Amino acid sequence: MWKKRAEEKAGKRNNYTWYLVMTVLMIVITMIAGVVVFSFYINHFTKEQDTSQYNKYYVMIAGDGNASLWQSVYEGAYEAALEENSYVDLLDGIFEKNYTREDLMRIAIASEVDGIIVAADESDGMTNLINEAVEAGIPVVTLYGDNTHSARCSFVGIGSYDLGREYGRQVLEIVEKTDVADETEKPIEVMVLVNANAMDSGQNILCSAIQDTLEKEKPESMEFELSLVSINDENAFSVEESIRDIFKEEELPDIIICLNELNTTCVYQAVVDYNKVGQVNILGYYDSDTIMKAIDRNVIYATIAIDTMQMGRFCVEALTEYNTYGNTSQYFTADIALINKDNVAFYMEEEADEP
Amino acid sequence: MNHKLRSLSLQGKISSLYILTNLLVFVVNILLLLGINRMSNEMEMVYRDNLHLNELAQALDNVQDSMTDYLNAKTSDSLEEYYRNEQEYLDLVYDLKDEVTGSSFDRMKRNIKHMSEQYLEIADQTIEAKRGRNVEKYRIRYENATQLYDYINTYVYSLNNEQFKSNSENYNELAQAFRKFEFLGMGVMCVVIIFNVCIIIKMVGALISPLKTLSKSADEVANGNLDIEVLEVQSEDEIGVVTSAFNQMVISIRQYIERIRHSMEVERAMKEKELMMEAHLKDAKLKYLQAQINPHFLFNTLNAGAQLAMLEGADRTYKYVQNMAEFFRYNVKKGDEIVSIREEIELVDNYIYILNVRFSGDIHYEKKIDKSLLQVQMPSMILQPIVENCVNHGIREMAGEGRIYLSVYRVDDMACISIRDNGVGMSQETIDKVLSGTYREEELAAGSNGVGMDNVIGRLKLFTESEDVMSIVSEGKDKGTEVIIYIQMKEREEDDV
Repeated sequence: MWKKRAEEKAGKRNNYTWYLVMTVLMIVITMIAGVVVFSFYINHFTKEQDTSQYNKYYVMIAGDGNASLWQSVYEGAYEAALEENSYVDLLDGIFEKNYTREDLMRIAIASEVDGIIVAADESDGMTNLINEAVEAGIPVVTLYGDNTHSARCSFVGIGSYDLGREYGRQVLEIVEKTDVADETEKPIEVMVLVNANAMDSGQNILCSAIQDTLEKEKPESMEFELSLVSINDENAFSVEESIRDIFKEEELPDIIICLNELNTTCVYQAVVDYNKVGQVNILGYYDSDTIMKAIDRNVIYATIAIDTMQMGRFCVEALTEYNTYGNTSQYFTADIALINKDNVAFYMEEEADEP
Repeated sequence: MNHKLRSLSLQGKISSLYILTNLLVFVVNILLLLGINRMSNEMEMVYRDNLHLNELAQALDNVQDSMTDYLNAKTSDSLEEYYRNEQEYLDLVYDLKDEVTGSSFDRMKRNIKHMSEQYLEIADQTIEAKRGRNVEKYRIRYENATQLYDYINTYVYSLNNEQFKSNSENYNELAQAFRKFEFLGMGVMCVVIIFNVCIIIKMVGALISPLKTLSKSADEVANGNLDIEVLEVQSEDEIGVVTSAFNQMVISIRQYIERIRHSMEVERAMKEKELMMEAHLKDAKLKYLQAQINPHFLFNTLNAGAQLAMLEGADRTYKYVQNMAEFFRYNVKKGDEIVSIREEIELVDNYIYILNVRFSGDIHYEKKIDKSLLQVQMPSMILQPIVENCVNHGIREMAGEGRIYLSVYRVDDMACISIRDNGVGMSQETIDKVLSGTYREEELAAGSNGVGMDNVIGRLKLFTESEDVMSIVSEGKDKGTEVIIYIQMKEREEDDV
């Protein structure tokens, strides 16, 4: 009995030691947990930014950096560049000032980048700058708008003739499906909104392609009156004003063809505001959300979607090829797709699926 | 370790407990301070890049200004200024990384670096052209340089802005984290303090518990219960020492008490033995006396003598011997019994008869007896020794005719037996001595049956369970003595009466 009691007491004493050790252990664990949680917070802030290094550094200069078209093209280029262990920066939007494409070209040249992707036009200034860049050893790819006289290594764009033909066919389809032709005997007026200052050969080719298509494929009895309206995009907000001016006129065209995203959006809004839905048919350009919704609501008849991701990819591929082999293909043509009421749901779904 | 812990002194234990708990709180505080330090460092770092960019922009301004100055005035001071600024700017630009990374800030810095290098080159060429007085050239180059300066400035400004935005976000998050850290720190502190309190309560309890047991045991010992368990010594500190001392003390007390008990027992045994020896001695004395006179033998012999006298027709002899026989038989038979007054008186009658035969009728014996009291019980051998004393001390020593008066009468519920003589009387001193039992006869008088007055008084006292059993009255010398015995009548006897 004595022995048992002694054992009990020894057990009790061991209990105390155990208790002490456990409590101290708990304290230490609490402290360690605190330190770990704290380090987690701290490391969350000192988290290193992406420091992966890239071999080549390209810049992209777009005309209107905010348009979703350019953003989409840039994304294509960016993804393609990453595959080549290169990096593409969209130079528009970086600066607090609104620099012109020429300024951005100069900055890119001064920055001694490994390649420039520029939405060019046929102006002399652009030609000079492109040549200057090439002289400085920087290959230049023109995007969407070409500068044929310069030493650019490659042009990535859409087939302007194909595009024009598609527009022409859509015009004929509109005439066929709606009652535009039945009302009067007068010719059907088709208005093409072109950029005033773009001395762009593509635009001209496009217009003549529409003309050609209408001439060749129209029914005998039908007359078309194709008019080109220059939209002033030189100054800020001038595009919207110019389009509103058209709608203030007494005579409105039956069909309006827009050749860029902004024009399409502005025309669409003007038609809604002036209550001309049904009277004026719109053929749009690009597949932004707004435009897709307009097609869904029957305000815009159809639009041409460009595979912008492919465009961006072509740009980077051209530069990589040039940097590697010293030479590359002169022209890259991106695919186009027609979106109208019939297939808009599919495209919208696809859009929604993308993150 | 456990042993080391146990062998610590009380002071050591309490001190280590406090040191341990304080140390834990101290560590938590150190951790908190380190955390706060780290946090504030992070906060300082947030805008460090902005400061650097501002320096860069300032240096660029200086280069441009000094170049313009030189182009304006062509002073050697401004040229010196230009070169110094150029060097300063070059140093700053040199620090910029020339890397294309995923971070837009890094890429912008790379671009700024390249543009700056170009700018400085053009600036140098401008200065060169100015020195060569090539007006056309330096004007164009100045324009180019200014344009580039403008671009770089914008670039730096934009980068600064972007970084500031990002840093502000970081700063906000950092501030939030700081707040969280405060909570975290407080939480950890609270938990640690709670655990500390637990440790202190438990450990102090553990330290104090042997003391509690000890005090409880001490209290029990103080209340006289020595039969407590031996306390277990849990530690080797002061409490342990006190506990073991206490244990030792309890054991010692127990042993001491045991020893005392033992010696007391021995003493008692010795006393008992002594008493027994005394008793034996007395017994032996008695046996000796008994051996001297075997009453049975004497009685039988006397009886035989009486019968012989009767056969021979000697009536007086017969009567005398018969009386003697009666007298001795009474002695033999009633040695220690309770008898009636009647029997006692009969014995006195016998005794007087024998004496009168012996001393040829000297003694006049008169009785005056209340017959109703004859059955009252009393111890035997009381009256005869008194009469014997009367004869021996009262009558024998006087001249003339001795008289003895025996009367039995009743006072209330007492039976009184008075024996009076007309002898020499007794002094008051002697009476007192006799009554207190301190009077001792030098030796037993001849013809005595050996029963003294003290014995008589003692037995009477025992019988009546009262102190007031006898009074002796003597009016002076030669005026005789009266001995009165008082016997409390028992209820039954009264009934009998």
